[in-house]
This record gives sequence, C-alpha cells and structure tokens, in this order.
Amino acid sequence: MAGRGVLAYGFIGLLLLVVGVPFYWMVNTSLKTSAQLQSLTPYYYPSPATLRNYAALLGTTNFLTWIKNSALVAVGATLVTVVVSSLAGYSLTRIRYPGRRVLATTVLVVYLVPPTLLFIPLYTVLKSFDLVNSLWALLVAYPTFTVPFCTWLLMGFFRSIPRDLEEAAMVDGATRLGAFTRVILPLTTPGILAAALFAFTLAWNEFLYALVFVHNTELKTIPVGLNDLMFGDIFLWGELMAASVLTTLPVIALYTYLQRYMVEGLTAGAVTG
Amino acid sequence: MTKPSAWRRVLVADALVGYLFVLPLIVLVLGLVAYPLGNAVWISLTDKYVGYAARFVGLANYVTLTRDPIFHKVIRNSAVFTLASVAVKVVLGMLMALALQRALIARSFLRAALLVPWVIPTVITALTWHWMFNALWGFINVTLQGVGLVREPIAWLGQPATAMAAVITANIWRGFPFFGVCLLAGMQAIPRDLYEAAAVDGASPAQRFWHITLPGLRLVLLVTTLISLIFTLNDFNIVYVLTRGGPGTATHVLATYTYEVGFQALRWGKAVAVSMYPLPVIAVMIVIVTRYLTRED
Repeated sequence: MAGRGVLAYGFIGLLLLVVGVPFYWMVNTSLKTSAQLQSLTPYYYPSPATLRNYAALLGTTNFLTWIKNSALVAVGATLVTVVVSSLAGYSLTRIRYPGRRVLATTVLVVYLVPPTLLFIPLYTVLKSFDLVNSLWALLVAYPTFTVPFCTWLLMGFFRSIPRDLEEAAMVDGATRLGAFTRVILPLTTPGILAAALFAFTLAWNEFLYALVFVHNTELKTIPVGLNDLMFGDIFLWGELMAASVLTTLPVIALYTYLQRYMVEGLTAGAVTG
Repeated sequence: MTKPSAWRRVLVADALVGYLFVLPLIVLVLGLVAYPLGNAVWISLTDKYVGYAARFVGLANYVTLTRDPIFHKVIRNSAVFTLASVAVKVVLGMLMALALQRALIARSFLRAALLVPWVIPTVITALTWHWMFNALWGFINVTLQGVGLVREPIAWLGQPATAMAAVITANIWRGFPFFGVCLLAGMQAIPRDLYEAAAVDGASPAQRFWHITLPGLRLVLLVTTLISLIFTLNDFNIVYVLTRGGPGTATHVLATYTYEVGFQALRWGKAVAVSMYPLPVIAVMIVIVTRYLTRED
C-alpha cells in the first residue's frame, strides 16, 4: 500500500510539473530584460529581474482599456446569467407545468451547440440591432453559452434541496417568489456562487465572438487585444508574458478563493443528471 | 377541505409563475440560438457574400466543398486533432483521478492546483505555448539542447507534423484536468464495499480497476468524453493563436477554416456550409449526452 501511495504522489508531482512549467516560463519571461530574452545562452531565471515589461505594457499598449472592457462584459454577463439561470433553474426543477421536460433537455442541447456554428448567423442578428462593434454585442452574445451551462448547473443544486422547505413556507402563505427568494435562494448560495464564477470565467476567457463582433482597438477585450499584440510587427514576448500574468491573476485569485464551489459545480453538472 | 376547483386555480397560477420564471431563458434560446441556427441553414444554401444580397443556390456550397482540397485537408486535420487530443486527455485524466484517489493527504489542494490550466483564458494558454515552442528562446528547445537531446533548434510551429503535435499538446494541457476532476468525482461515487468485497476475494488492483472502477465510471467516462469531443472538434482558440492553421494548411481545422472563409474571404454561404458539415456527427453526440444526463433515476 505504501508503495502505491508513493507512486500516486510521484505521478501527481509529474503532472504538477507539466502544469507548472508553462506558468514558470510565463512569469520568468515577464521579468526578463530584452537582452536576456534574446540571449543566445538562455536564462532559466531573470538576472537581474526587471519590471520594465510590465511598465511598457501599461504605458505603451491598450492593456488597461482591454482589461476594463473584459471586466465590464464579464461582470455584466455574470449578472444577467445569474438572474436568468436561477429563475429558470428553479422553475424547471420545482414547478410543474406542461413542457418543462422538453425545456430542461433544450437547456442541455443549447449548452452543447458549438459557437463555431453560431458566430456567423449571430453576427447578422447583432448587426440587425446595430450592436456590432460595441461591447453590447458581447453582453448579448455571451449569455448564449453562460446561461445554458449555469442553468444546468443550478438545476442540480435546486434538486438537492428538500421540497418540504418551500412547501412549508407556501402553506404559511408565502408566494412562489417569496418562497424562492427567502427560502430557496439562501440555501442555494454555493450553487449561485459556482454559477457566477463559471459565468465570469467563461465570459472573461471568451475569444471567438470577441474577435468577430468587435473591431475597434479600444473596444476589444483582453484575449483579442493580446492576440493583436502578438501578431504585430515585432514579437513583444516580455510584454506579452507580463500581460498573460496580469490577465491570469484575477481568474486564479477568484478560483483560489472559490475553487471548492467551482469543483462542486463542475462535477455536479457533469456527473449527476 | 379545499374544493377541487380551488386547487386547480392554485396549480394553474403556479404553472403561470413557472412559465414566467423560465421566460427569459426561452427568449434567449429562441432569439439568440434557435433563430440564428435556422438562419445558418438558410445562409448555407445561398451564395451570400458580405455586402451583397444573398441568392438561393441550393446545395451548391456543400457540393463545391466536396471538391475543395483544402476542405479535405481540414476534415483530416480536425479528425487527427480531435481524436489524438481526446484520447490522451482521457488517459491522462484517468491516471490523474486514480493518483488523486490514492492521495489521502492534500487531495483537494492538489486537485485544485491541477485544474488551473482549465480555468485560465485559452488565449493565454495558446500564447504561452507559442512562446514555449519558440525555436530560439522557447523552453522546450532550450531544455532539449541543454540536456543534449538535440543539437539544432527544432522549428516546432514551422513544420507540418510538429505544428500539429504542438497544437495537440496545448489542447491536452488545457483539457486533461477536466477529465481528472470528473473521473475522480465518479470514482468517489462507487460504493466502498465493492472494493472491500473484491479485496477479500483476493482481487489484484488491476482486476479491481477492470471489474469495479471502469464499469462504475462508464457513464461519467462516456459523457465527459463526448462533451470533450464536441468542444475539441470545434476548437478555435488554440489553433488560431498558435499557428493560424499553418504552416500552409497543416493545422487548419473546421473552426479556423470557417473563420477564414467567412471573415477573410467574406464568403458566408460557403463558410456556414463548412461549419454545417460536422453537424450530423455533433448532433448524434449531443443526443447521446442528453439522453444520459436527463435520465430520471
């Protein structure tokens, strides 16, 4: 038994190494001077370390604008998603009416429809509302994938709450909305947190729609902005890796703080039905 | 005692509230998914070129694609990219789950640490791997040369075979933790006493894996594999950022080709037809996933 424990930790160590090396290379590069970056005897560590790449990134590129755009869109999409998904998730699991089975299945199907299929026709829809080339385009488009995913995830959470609780509240004269907001929602807080976290992360990370629906540099989100930086005339790897560090940080920070809910939500959505 | 008619009124009122709660979702699905999908079918049957009115051309786009050598290459690339990525992700994820299950100390910390590649932006993953694979200053060549495994730097992203290997590597790096976490959750749902009974009967660890763990994971394995197949088959970010489909068309996949035809050549009719081709396969996978996940048990 002890032998296999060693083997297990050994393998986990190997995986941690595989996962960690790209992050190490990212941070390492972000702290190097351009002379070190292009040295023919490459350095495994920055010597001396410099914050020049970070200064250049913040001073000479649109990085902060892109971050601001991403934050606006991600927060907006998260708010919309949490409201729409928790109402729908509750309705689909707790209230009886004709068609709810079909609707529940539709939620799952829509989650699995790939954006590759949607981005051109969605462009025409957004164009007809004159939303193309604005952050509104993304705020409208992102719920197409965040809402189905989060609704599905929340349905799992709502199902795990005993029916008696809300029935007791309703016998005592509470309305559906009252039972939902005062009895059920407080009990589903971990699920709502997981849903919000997923919605934010999915929106923060999204690339294809942001690439296609927005053209102006000052309206771009951070993934698309970085992609532009990369394919400029010169490869600014120091700045790019500094930007990668700064863009990854908010996600990692949120995740470190809330990962328990996220893992719970992920496995609840994928494992249970 | 409440009269039946009063009960009926309560139930009907409740059903109305139910519809009201789910209405925003219905609007979203109809307006932003169902309608665009229907529209996609229509666009693919026209010669729509951006800036010009669409003319109905029947199946012409689909027929033309069957004779398009780039499209043939794209289909082959997508198949290689998807199957190779998912196969390795399943195996690595399974090993990760098995190892984590044995790791009694710090399990949830290790699980969280290993899931990090899955939560960071895919574009960052692709950018970082682009730099890792850099011929002159990338980690991989620097290390390979440092330990003396290769003499000359390898242009990973500049040659067809290694470029495909590179995009697959980045995709695996991002995706295997998802399998690991889901399979671990599946393993924890298998009743302990099955293992205890098998141990009493003298079953070896390999036998226990084959006869208890694997059958117990059948559902989770099927669902996660299918979900991963659907999303990997439609992956855009990693390929686009790492290689733009190049060198030449060596790593061009369905999503990057759709984007190129649609937003560089501006031929929407043909572009949407490209994205429609894998739909039958995707539809079958969606039906199976949905069937399994909505089973009432």
